[in-house]
Amino acid sequence: MPALEVKDLNTSFRTDDGIVQAVSGVSFSLDEGHTLGVVGESGSGKSVTFLTVMGLVDPRQAQVSGSVQLHGEQMLGASRARLQQIRGATIGMIFQDPMTSLNPVKTIGWQLEEAVLIHQDVTRKDARRQAIEILKEVEIPRADQRVDDYPHQFSGGMRQRVMIAMALINGPEILIADEPTTALDVTTQAQILRLMKRLQDQHKMAIVMITHDLGVVAELADDVLVMYGGKVVEEAKVDDLFAKPEMPYTWGLLGSLPRLNSAGERLDQIPGQPPSLLNPPSGCAFHPRCEYVMSRCRTEMPDLRSSAQGADHRFRCFLEDEERTRIWQGKRAALVSEDAA
Amino acid sequence: MRRKHTLSLFMLVMGVALLVAATTVGAASSATHKVNTTGVNKGGTLKVNENSADFDFVDPQLAYRTDDWDMLFSTAMQLVSFPEKSGPAGSQLYPQAATAFPTVSADGKTYTFHIRPGLKFSDGSPVTAASFQRSWERILSPKMGSPLGVNLDLQNVVVGADAFLNGKASTISGISAKGLTLTFHLTKPNATFVSILSMQWFTAVKSNMPYSSTGLNVYPAAGPYYIASRDPGRSTVLKRNPYYNGNRPANPDQIVFTPNVDPDQSLLQVKAGQSDFDLGGIPPTAASNLATTYGINKGRFFVGPTSCVLYMAMNNARPPFDNVALRKAVNWAIDRPAQVRLLGAYAGKRTDQILVPGIPGYKPFNVYAIKGADVTKAKAVGGSAIASAPTLNVVHTTSSYSTQRAQVAEYNLKQVGFKINDVPTPATNYYQVIQTKGTTYNFVTNGGWCADYFDPFDYLNVLFDGSKIQAANNNNYSYFDNASFNSSLNAASALSGAARASAYAKLDQELMVKYAPVVPYLISTNRYFVSARVKNWIYSSYFGAPYLNALAVG
Amino acid sequence: MTHFLIRRIFWAIFLFFVATIITYLIFWVIPANPAALAAGKSATPADIARVSHFLHLDEPIWKQYLRFVWNLLGHGSLGRSYVNRQTIDSSIAKDAPVTASLVFGGAVCWLSLSIPVGILSALRPRSIMDRISMIFVLIGISAHPVWIGLILSYVVGYRLGLTPIAGYCNFFTGTAGAQCEGPVQWAYHLILPWITFMILFAALYVRLIRANVMETMSEDYVRTARAKGASERRVMIQHVLRNSMLPVVTILGMDLGLALGGAIFTESIFNLPGLGHELINAYNTADLPMITGIVVFATVAVIVFNFIVDVTYGFLDPRIRPS
Repeated sequence: MPALEVKDLNTSFRTDDGIVQAVSGVSFSLDEGHTLGVVGESGSGKSVTFLTVMGLVDPRQAQVSGSVQLHGEQMLGASRARLQQIRGATIGMIFQDPMTSLNPVKTIGWQLEEAVLIHQDVTRKDARRQAIEILKEVEIPRADQRVDDYPHQFSGGMRQRVMIAMALINGPEILIADEPTTALDVTTQAQILRLMKRLQDQHKMAIVMITHDLGVVAELADDVLVMYGGKVVEEAKVDDLFAKPEMPYTWGLLGSLPRLNSAGERLDQIPGQPPSLLNPPSGCAFHPRCEYVMSRCRTEMPDLRSSAQGADHRFRCFLEDEERTRIWQGKRAALVSEDAA
Repeated sequence: MRRKHTLSLFMLVMGVALLVAATTVGAASSATHKVNTTGVNKGGTLKVNENSADFDFVDPQLAYRTDDWDMLFSTAMQLVSFPEKSGPAGSQLYPQAATAFPTVSADGKTYTFHIRPGLKFSDGSPVTAASFQRSWERILSPKMGSPLGVNLDLQNVVVGADAFLNGKASTISGISAKGLTLTFHLTKPNATFVSILSMQWFTAVKSNMPYSSTGLNVYPAAGPYYIASRDPGRSTVLKRNPYYNGNRPANPDQIVFTPNVDPDQSLLQVKAGQSDFDLGGIPPTAASNLATTYGINKGRFFVGPTSCVLYMAMNNARPPFDNVALRKAVNWAIDRPAQVRLLGAYAGKRTDQILVPGIPGYKPFNVYAIKGADVTKAKAVGGSAIASAPTLNVVHTTSSYSTQRAQVAEYNLKQVGFKINDVPTPATNYYQVIQTKGTTYNFVTNGGWCADYFDPFDYLNVLFDGSKIQAANNNNYSYFDNASFNSSLNAASALSGAARASAYAKLDQELMVKYAPVVPYLISTNRYFVSARVKNWIYSSYFGAPYLNALAVG
Repeated sequence: MTHFLIRRIFWAIFLFFVATIITYLIFWVIPANPAALAAGKSATPADIARVSHFLHLDEPIWKQYLRFVWNLLGHGSLGRSYVNRQTIDSSIAKDAPVTASLVFGGAVCWLSLSIPVGILSALRPRSIMDRISMIFVLIGISAHPVWIGLILSYVVGYRLGLTPIAGYCNFFTGTAGAQCEGPVQWAYHLILPWITFMILFAALYVRLIRANVMETMSEDYVRTARAKGASERRVMIQHVLRNSMLPVVTILGMDLGLALGGAIFTESIFNLPGLGHELINAYNTADLPMITGIVVFATVAVIVFNFIVDVTYGFLDPRIRPS
């Protein structure tokens, strides 16, 4: 049984301007100890999907349907108390901006202890010992002193370590990391990713790595979901995805990856804007930006279908197999030649 | 003009023979004075509000506003004073602390009073001649810094007062006090001297009452009451003088004043019985309803006459109102009933003359449009000069009522063809603007005058004698200056008796018919509302307020 | 901390001079003549000169100002009123407790109303509760204190007879001539003024608190707290409230400082003998020493309250704690 199984998840928000369909029909499963990379632009629904999984969307504004099962237990519609039990204990979560994700008026020790005391029946002293221990584990120097410092006394990278420590302090089975490195500089990014990998190995936990950076996915993930306009548009094992992406949007994402030896050149961009979720385009959500758009794309949404490479590589596109193979080969040749140049 | 709060200090020039003394002293020559107090309960606390005001001083030698004086009257023991009677009887002086009116020497320069024996201050000590000597010293001492005696030129009335004022003598040589005998030596004969002594400044004070430039708040007094406590801005409490043995009324056990109340709130407090009445009167808008509900002078709502005439002044020293035709035209143009309506019901009586009832020489006449503006007549009188007149600077203070009054007047002026420049001026510098010679205003809407004394001199000579125009602080802020009228005024002031009255009656009429320097429009009244328990309301038209010591709340 | 204090004190001294010099200059510019007012309406120029000399008004303005500064610093005295010649110090010492009673009591009232209402409105935006409070806020913001005061004393004080219509009683007993005193009478007479203050300020504070709570609730660290499994109650108390009250502390400090300088309208309507009422009387009589005295007091009050706010803020928010 997978650790987390999501089926046909829909999340929409009522706003003053109308209904925003943020997530539509998302399904995936996460196996124990595995890493799932979730890739997409801002507004693709990747963060909302996991906020919905955690029950963190405001029920007065959001409408949710589908199924979220944690070890077979239905989480959608579970009681608030049960969700609070799961959050921070079974599933830990860390967020994009470590500068704003910690309460500025409480010491980090207090915030770590709070996480312990919510879920464990221990004394504050004990909680403090745990806090110092986990800070050591995330490689905060002089952890026993710094535990009494406030967030503003830490650097961005250090704060993200604190966030990770806080997510891990109750030994969760799943860690959802929502763009954990986006706000950090490149060297710190690498350190944080290495740290996460080490901790994953030690704690044997599954990780959901939400990112817009395929590089991070390549480094960490076992499986990949590509999301666009609130929908999964391609899913595959990480190697398959990089070997033969099947969908024009994924091609665009790969083209926009920075390459170390192409200094000075502009990266390829996907032209146009991400789709409005309030008034989504008809048919395939990607069609206004797709170079290979056909008339059919404007009226119909393609279903997820399996790739010729295997049943677990699935994507949405109306282009014929041969056509896609031909285009991808052309693209890859261009990327490789660029690399070689 | 602060009608209720600032006495228009009288500007008598000493040496001018007035008949005030004769008219007010003569009738009440009986030495014993009795007030009928049967059927009136004693006791209780009389609670008096003062809307938008507080006593500035309660020290008798620093106090000079009407409220101050009305309050001090209840604590005062004077050589001569007014009886607690309503109507004309209330303005007849009688010897109070003195056994009789003074004996005057043949040359008219020495006045001798005999003080009644047995009078006592609230601390039990006796009232002697020295008690009255001290009040003169306190009003003139440089250590007091009191502007009042000097305003009246008192230093030139009594021998030796000038040297005392200038610090060259430690006592006033012209006043001698021996036991109960008090003698004044005057520099020259003065027919008003006895009347002057009725002012609250000359009450008996202890002969050792210290000089104080800040004024004393609590001190022994010899009248029916004394000031038991005073907290400026908070409260003033009068208590019955236990040693007072005269026959003036002393009905409440104590009188408590609460200052600075909002006028509307004050009225509510009286209605609710939380206060007994407001010394500052009622809000003008409330008059009509109160009269309908309670009737007039029938126990709760009182309308009492004052000696105040309200007028709008034209600047006679500047074009266009150096032209008498235009001044007359304005007197036709101003809508007097509309102005009176602004003051609410029972605000007073419309007028187009300066003298008021009660003043010798008052003879009602009517030359201008007293029943409403007469635009046609105004245009005919003013003629083409109206159109060619420069734009009028109309000055008024900035309170909402003053602004309304100016708006109505400006409307009337525009109706006949004048061009208007509205000049709102804060009350704090209003008088300085209009009372300085050479001022550029053309028309002021806030004019008015109340009697310091019941004599026509106090109106006509004080307000319209052009020879007295000075650099600043002119009461004659119409700057009316006519040589022949000036000499007529001087001639009238030298007369006495019936001749004086008829001379002033003639001048009053001549002033408006011939010169029309101002636009008189109202002889105002004071309106009061009292709580249900207040009895024995005796109104003094001199103070424009009731005698507080006579009011009964027991 | 010492550095912070020294800077604060220098700033306070600077503000003191700016405020008092401006007050003196304004008085010098406007054409009011306090000596003429004090001397009486029909005083002659000689009389006015005498009074001017007595009040030192015949000196050049800079000399008057230096005299004022010297008296204040050398003798701790603010001078004497032109009108009733009482010392300004004693007047302010008597008035300040009245204004303080009004302002602090009012603050307790408006905070105890606006904090719960503001939080509830933030928790349930667009609910009936939120909309009712919005109407209440509109009335409070639009209404003038004089109007509110008159309506309250007419309805509650006069019609219903539940409270006094106007007036003030000392908290402490033992004042000569006092008609009422003691804590009970004090509070009884202040009920309507407090409610007036409450209606005026609660309106603003409900909106302020509502906006702050809503803003704080969308902060990332609140999401973090929820992700930790914290209950809504814990999230609210431990994470939202303290952070959302930070701007309220600033505004409250400023409001209290300003209001102490004079709650002019409320004091006038309810005849509370406080600084605002005194200021209006002083303005009407061109009583420069009294006006300057109240300006000095108000300046000091604002400076002190800003200082208190800074220190409090330091305790509440470690980010700006001076270390």
